[in-house]
Amino acid sequence: MAKKDDSPDGLKLDRRNFFKTTGLAGLAESIAAPAEAAAQSTPAAVGPGDVPVRLNVNGRQIDLMIEPRVTLLDALRTRANLTGNKKGCDRGACGACTMIVDGRPVYSCSTLAIEVQGKQIRNVDGLATGDRLHPVQQAFCEKDALMCGFCTPGFIMASVALLEKNPNATPEQIKKGLDGNICRCGTFSRIFEAVSSVKGGQRG
Amino acid sequence: MANSEFDWPAKPSLVGTRVNRVDGPDKVTGRAKYTFDINRPGMLYARMVRSPYPHARVVSVDLAPALRMPGVKTALLVRDFANSKNNRVMFQGDEIAAVAADTEEHAMDAARAVKVEYEVLPHVTIVERALDGTAPAVFNGGNVRDARPAQAGDLTAGFAAAAKVVEGTYSTQVITHTCMESHGTVCEWSGDRLTAWISTQGVSGARENFASALGIPQANVRVLCQYMGGGFGSKALSVGAEGLMCAKLAKAANAPVKLMLDRKEEHLATGNRPSAESKIKAGVSADGTITAFEAESWGTGGAGATSDFPLPYLYQSKNRSRTHKNVFTNTGQQRPMRAPGHPQGSFHTEIIMDELADQVNMDPIQFRIKNLPPEAPNAMWRSYLLEGAAEFGWSKRHATGDKTPGPIKTGMGVSINTWGGGGRGPSPAHCEITSDGGVIMRLGTQDIGTGTRTLVATITADALGLRASQVRPEIGDTAFGVSALSGGSTTAASISPGIRVAAVKALDALKEKVAPALGVPAASLIASGGRIHVENEPGKGMSWADACKQIGPQPITADGDWRAGMSSSTTSGAQFAEVAVDIETGIVKVKRILVLQDCGLVVSRLTAESQVYGGVIGSLNFALFEDRILDRNTGQMLNPNMEWYLLAGMSDIPRIDVRLKDQPERGVIGLGEPPTVATAAAIALAVRNATGVTMRSLPLTPAKVLGAMRQTRA
Repeated sequence: MAKKDDSPDGLKLDRRNFFKTTGLAGLAESIAAPAEAAAQSTPAAVGPGDVPVRLNVNGRQIDLMIEPRVTLLDALRTRANLTGNKKGCDRGACGACTMIVDGRPVYSCSTLAIEVQGKQIRNVDGLATGDRLHPVQQAFCEKDALMCGFCTPGFIMASVALLEKNPNATPEQIKKGLDGNICRCGTFSRIFEAVSSVKGGQRG
Repeated sequence: MANSEFDWPAKPSLVGTRVNRVDGPDKVTGRAKYTFDINRPGMLYARMVRSPYPHARVVSVDLAPALRMPGVKTALLVRDFANSKNNRVMFQGDEIAAVAADTEEHAMDAARAVKVEYEVLPHVTIVERALDGTAPAVFNGGNVRDARPAQAGDLTAGFAAAAKVVEGTYSTQVITHTCMESHGTVCEWSGDRLTAWISTQGVSGARENFASALGIPQANVRVLCQYMGGGFGSKALSVGAEGLMCAKLAKAANAPVKLMLDRKEEHLATGNRPSAESKIKAGVSADGTITAFEAESWGTGGAGATSDFPLPYLYQSKNRSRTHKNVFTNTGQQRPMRAPGHPQGSFHTEIIMDELADQVNMDPIQFRIKNLPPEAPNAMWRSYLLEGAAEFGWSKRHATGDKTPGPIKTGMGVSINTWGGGGRGPSPAHCEITSDGGVIMRLGTQDIGTGTRTLVATITADALGLRASQVRPEIGDTAFGVSALSGGSTTAASISPGIRVAAVKALDALKEKVAPALGVPAASLIASGGRIHVENEPGKGMSWADACKQIGPQPITADGDWRAGMSSSTTSGAQFAEVAVDIETGIVKVKRILVLQDCGLVVSRLTAESQVYGGVIGSLNFALFEDRILDRNTGQMLNPNMEWYLLAGMSDIPRIDVRLKDQPERGVIGLGEPPTVATAAAIALAVRNATGVTMRSLPLTPAKVLGAMRQTRA
């Protein structure tokens, strides 16, 4: 399931009405276009056993044999040892699993691996270049925008997606853009400070 | 305290400064490996089987269907349910069995395939029904247990002396720890030796736990916790049923096993903050002195667990009485949760404080000052209240009830807090300086997110005249020695003295090596700015790297331990809140919070401030959002997730100003719990000041705010 985008059109989305909104949107789509849906070729049924799944993660091709029900998060964490992004709630509420798929932030715990074949997937393990941190990572370190650090990879990926799309995000847009992530240690103030300090992908 | 070379330096180079968290880069890149991230060769995945019912008799458990499922390697019962004396499950989520399979998905399938036959028994989950006797008698010895009453002075005389009396019923809800990383363990056996990676607040305690429960020597157990995703008390006292089952499954399967709980299990079975309710009657004299404080309280800490909390909290009354009832319910047991008891005591006390102040037309701050214990280094509330009032703009606060026209009402509130946070030994630390200039500070403590590695590196580097990044802190492993659990804000005060002692001793040994080469007495040397040199003669010395070349192949080693006088206990703090309340929707928006908080000697200023931010936001969650909601008929939790178990998001966070009040002369004191005590009451009092309606029950949901306003109007 795609996570909300930052909403420059003034559509106010937050974590609490996000499900409602996207749920209704999905419903409207299926009602509006049944003929179109039927006209499309039905994908061949796969599974329930292991099937080949090819993922492009951080520019690297990963071939897996997994059940179709395996999420993108579990596929990377348990089959590819890419454990940077975390599992907090496993149902698209906490954001610790946030990855970037074709430029959009998604809850990877609520995205099937098999559905994102052929897409460009980025998780936190691939964000830094060698020892050189991404500006958002650098800002999190300098502002102490983390405590236990378990939610941090998700916050960082959500922040990167937000700033790539909107490098000059306003304070309100930053807040809305990060409303899909929860930090239980309560680091929000400094996360906001960190993200605000990164302008256009550079440190401001 | 006696002067010693180990005393905290009068002019520290790093202690008290803003050192960046030393493990920040590992955490922001995903390199930091949490228990959840440990993947071992041939590792199996395990899941627990739990009771869906709050109270039932387990008639039979059949593991065979699970063992026939694809990929399943082993399945075990948590105990022998054939024993009729021990076959009841006492809460939703109570443990029955565990299964291990080759993938997480197969383990989930297998857990569902375990066939459990239950005889569902009557349950008690509603506190009022337990109290009024209409609930079924579930617990041997009764559902309700009286705690020891407390009494002082003469209540009758106290009320006789009162000009005004206020009575009210106050309540705070059950909340759960909701750590981002669930409770869980990876266990791997080599013969009769166990290695356990566990998300814990105490590796030493976990070792003892595993060994005694499994019947093996502690020496055969190594516990590791390099990084952990939050505990807040719920990972402090035990490895839990899931930890032991993980070890047993690994033994039975002869393979490493990972058992991490899911979000629902976290809410049901890994602890919570007990509910608290009270009926309070308090009297106040015309001059604003509390003359009498009479409180009956009750609460539930779950199945067979207590729920006591301090009442009154901090303010004095010569004449007082207190009774408390521990109500047992068929719900998961409470565990210590960040400042256990204090947030409840604070809310129940502070709300009635403003009601009393209004009765005698006193400003809430003046009224509080009037009833506080005398000012002392560990009781600084008077100063903080006055200083905070000036900074916060308290003089602009209107009387109870914002008279501004329109639906948005604003208001201010204030509340105070305390916590012990003292240190103790044994808390040994071991320092090594190697000939290549490397410095290792090794100790068996753990970092629960507070920044322990940074504190270790800061104190060590400060003593050695280095940068924090030049020190390698090694923690989170029982191989590094014993250490106390990280709970009760005791870690900083417990470990800091030993670290400094070890570092100073190591430096002394290094000076002995360097002195002959420089032709000066070792006692004339100091370490500063990355050099070892004669005091006041920076030119007469050598660089750290050159100094360490004198060491030779055998590194310098030195040990330290906790020393009295270098740490202390008991903090004070005050918090101010300003809110805006939409009286048409009942939505409370916190606009700003000001915190004045001491913690003795501030070691690591950046991470200390982060603790305060976190405490405030935790308490804001308690005030506005969090609530464990149970179905009144089935007794099952309705919101065991993170979308309906509400938590603040970025848009809910107010401006928070943190003023750390340095008291370096007191030594190190812990800071984890103090800042999470007072915010909720300050917010509720700000809502009262805004709306003119006293909110006596948390959380302050829109429905509750509207309901209270309607009731007051009626």
